[in-house]
Amino acid sequence: MADLLLAYQSLFAFVGINGLLALSVYTTLSCGQLSLANAGFMAIGAYTSALITLRASGVPFIAALAASALLPAIVAVPLGLPVLRLRGVFLAIATVGFGEVVRLFFVNWDYTNGAMGLVAIPQRTQLWTIALALALALFILGRLRGSRAGYALEAIREDETAARTMGIYTTGHKLAMLALGAALAGLAGGLEAHFTFMVAPGGYAFGRVVEMLVQAVVGGTAAFYGPVVGAAFLTLLPEILREAGARLGLAPGPFRLLLNGLILLAVILYLPNGLVSLPSRLRRRSRGVA
Amino acid sequence: MGQQVLNGIFLGSIYALFAVGYTLVFGVLDILNLAHQAVFMLAAFIALALVADAHLSLWVALPAAVLAGGAIGIVLERVAFRPLRGRADSNISGLISSLAMATVFEAIALQIFGPDISRFPPGTFPDRVVRIGAATASLLQLCIVGISVVLMAVLTLLLARSRLGRQIRAVAESPRAARILGIDVDRAIAMAFFLSSALGGAAGVLFGLAFNSISPDVGRGVELKGLAVIILGGMGSVPGAVIAGFALGLIEVFTVAHLGSSFRDAVSFAVLFFVLIARPRGLFGRAAAREA
Amino acid sequence: MSLARRWSFSLLLLLAAACKDQGSEAPASGGGATIGAALSLTGAAASYGALQRAGIQAGVEQVTGGGGPKLNVLIEDDASTKEQGITVFQKFINRDRVSAILGPTLSNTASAADPLAQQAKVPVLAISNTAPTGITDIGNYIWRDSLTEAQVIPGAFKKAQEKLKFKTAGVLYGNDDVFTKAGYDVMQKALADLSVKVLGTQTFAKPDRDYNAQLTALIGLKPDVLVVSALADNASSIVAQARQRGWTGPILGGNGFNSPAFIKNAGAAAEGVMVGTSWNSLSQDPANQKFLEAMKKGGVNPDQFSAQAYTGVIILAEAIKQAEGKTGREDIVAGLAKVKDLDTPLGKFSFTPGRDAQHEPSVQQVKDGKFQIVQ
Repeated sequence: MADLLLAYQSLFAFVGINGLLALSVYTTLSCGQLSLANAGFMAIGAYTSALITLRASGVPFIAALAASALLPAIVAVPLGLPVLRLRGVFLAIATVGFGEVVRLFFVNWDYTNGAMGLVAIPQRTQLWTIALALALALFILGRLRGSRAGYALEAIREDETAARTMGIYTTGHKLAMLALGAALAGLAGGLEAHFTFMVAPGGYAFGRVVEMLVQAVVGGTAAFYGPVVGAAFLTLLPEILREAGARLGLAPGPFRLLLNGLILLAVILYLPNGLVSLPSRLRRRSRGVA
Repeated sequence: MGQQVLNGIFLGSIYALFAVGYTLVFGVLDILNLAHQAVFMLAAFIALALVADAHLSLWVALPAAVLAGGAIGIVLERVAFRPLRGRADSNISGLISSLAMATVFEAIALQIFGPDISRFPPGTFPDRVVRIGAATASLLQLCIVGISVVLMAVLTLLLARSRLGRQIRAVAESPRAARILGIDVDRAIAMAFFLSSALGGAAGVLFGLAFNSISPDVGRGVELKGLAVIILGGMGSVPGAVIAGFALGLIEVFTVAHLGSSFRDAVSFAVLFFVLIARPRGLFGRAAAREA
Repeated sequence: MSLARRWSFSLLLLLAAACKDQGSEAPASGGGATIGAALSLTGAAASYGALQRAGIQAGVEQVTGGGGPKLNVLIEDDASTKEQGITVFQKFINRDRVSAILGPTLSNTASAADPLAQQAKVPVLAISNTAPTGITDIGNYIWRDSLTEAQVIPGAFKKAQEKLKFKTAGVLYGNDDVFTKAGYDVMQKALADLSVKVLGTQTFAKPDRDYNAQLTALIGLKPDVLVVSALADNASSIVAQARQRGWTGPILGGNGFNSPAFIKNAGAAAEGVMVGTSWNSLSQDPANQKFLEAMKKGGVNPDQFSAQAYTGVIILAEAIKQAEGKTGREDIVAGLAKVKDLDTPLGKFSFTPGRDAQHEPSVQQVKDGKFQIVQ
């Protein structure tokens, strides 16, 4: 059993990190904004903490982590002010553009070795560090739910114009959520950098933020812990498929990719409120209610 | 300098053709179809298979692949978009279901064709170079620009003059009003997808011919550029997509020539940003892009 | 019980079955060794992973056929991502209890996963990592048989300049891939050492297919030679487009060009291109001939990636032989240290004191549609 834990220790770590990332996308979704900038924020957090650890010896890990959360949050403000005025898909596209610009910046920056990235980062992240960060994030988001600010966010998500006429400071709330999401994504980046020994621009491309979004939506954005469920499911799925494939004698190949796509399609079509809505759906079904 | 202009026009024609399909679906359904680049890729492979394995002439394979692209578009609409039509969060869920379909398409292409780059057999297209002033262009490049322009003109005429075009524009304006007026909304949307994917497929085949380098991930490079083009041109505007496509092609080429290629993609995104912040509806868009 | 309860129970059962412990020691029956191969079989590097798999399988056949130790190679896909690379390494180390690991395909994945092997004292033999630093410097359990560009380019460029006598150059390189970026760094230095003036430098990204703008810009500067750091697929398109844009001068390439796919896809445009390579495809050595035959039998075009993967298996077999047939992890490490002048498709192979590859690189030129050695 101890071997089992050792063999899958990294998998649990990735579940935790992806959970943080999914939550970071959820923060803006909760007030109705689809922001896809989080791969860029993650990159900023990861590189910041990596540079601190590698170039400024003697700085404690917690300080590097704090910087990995703080810097992206600070960057989020000047980004958010012009961009949060855009609606729906336009906001999404603008934030995708931001993420790409960040990635290109790191690809071209010689100080961080461009595409080769920074290596030999000491492994300072432990499973409990990730668990603690995740618990903290869940705590913050959970508390937000029933609070006045939380209701304001829901109002903004339902109908922003109406919310504004009710006197809710919509720009401030949206900006705060963007910054919170940026901080979570940056923190996840810092944790990951000190777990996987390296950072490179390739890990923060468009595909990464799409993964985060998918995990949040598949888990379900109705509940604040939904994204974590989605992250756990989609991080474990390739490994479960790997085992299943091995036992069925399938050679590794596009089959896993195909299954991933089909499962995603099935969830989005038949389980619109995500995996967290599964228990209540099944309960209704088994009670004979349509 | 003249050569770079030609390079820009050539690149721009492909961007424009790709973006036109993208923007058509957005105009009609208010959804970003992330599977567009997968149809782009599949059409290129279908053309390749028809030429290389079935030994058909390119002039048969090309229209066949384009029609196949359109057919895939209809399937896409039926499977991934129609079930989501009533939902409140349909743009996000539409985004994700189109993404799921793109993943499925890519996996299918990987399974059939493998991850390596595939090419048209040599001699598929006559290898001739044409001189225009001091610059050179291959006959293939000229044909591609020509075909793109023709296809885009056909689409514009179709949308402006034909009955189907009017129906599609009506649905784009307001699906509910269109339905009340007796228009078969489902059919109009399906046809819009057919046209969009046929053009995306055409872009894919021409791209595959132009660069002779087809792989299951070939759509990803164009996907993000396509976004920049439709934003610049204005979401939902076909002529906007055309002009913006050529504009972006020229902008990219001249950025490379004068600033260096490392800046090329950054400039595309800078244009994207600038447009979204200063004039979100782009050059010709009508859709409301702002909340306030 | 309720439906939900039933579902979660069966899901748990499924998970438990999937995670069933494989037993505490890898079966080393009859003097055999369990080797893990972490390859990118899907994702961005899928084409290289597939070539490596073919090379490894051919190598295992060669070893068992030639009376070598029994090798049980477990091949796993890391999907070209560091996360799955790490997961696969942990599975190899803790569940499958492998004696050694081949791979991973990408240098970025290696810098994330190799440290785990180092910590767990499991030897890793890299078969395609070409990053100059960050691989073997991880620790004494990390070895590699892939020459870095730094070991190939300087000699190749010197020879090229002796023949072509160029004084100025235009450079084009892929800046978003470790292989080509590392190659560019080396090329830049090599050109400077040869007092060649670089008139202009352009970049491209791996997904790019259109290089016309960059090539037009470079050709307009009228350099004596075009220097390109690219992988085979980009390389063939670059060379073809360069010729189309009217470039008639010489083209110098790095290791990435060393593939039959390059000549096939570039067609007539490949004529005259000079490359520095770490695998001499034309070598008449029996070891190389056996490799070429094995690949032909398997229906796979032999290239550098498969050659280095095949060689990796040969080296591991030799290490076991040097350790007198013992297949434990420490035994293999000790055996690797004793590998000297081993006959492989790459030539006579030894490790440097830093556990990097050491064998004679070659300079080749495309003549009449085939690579030929440049004397």
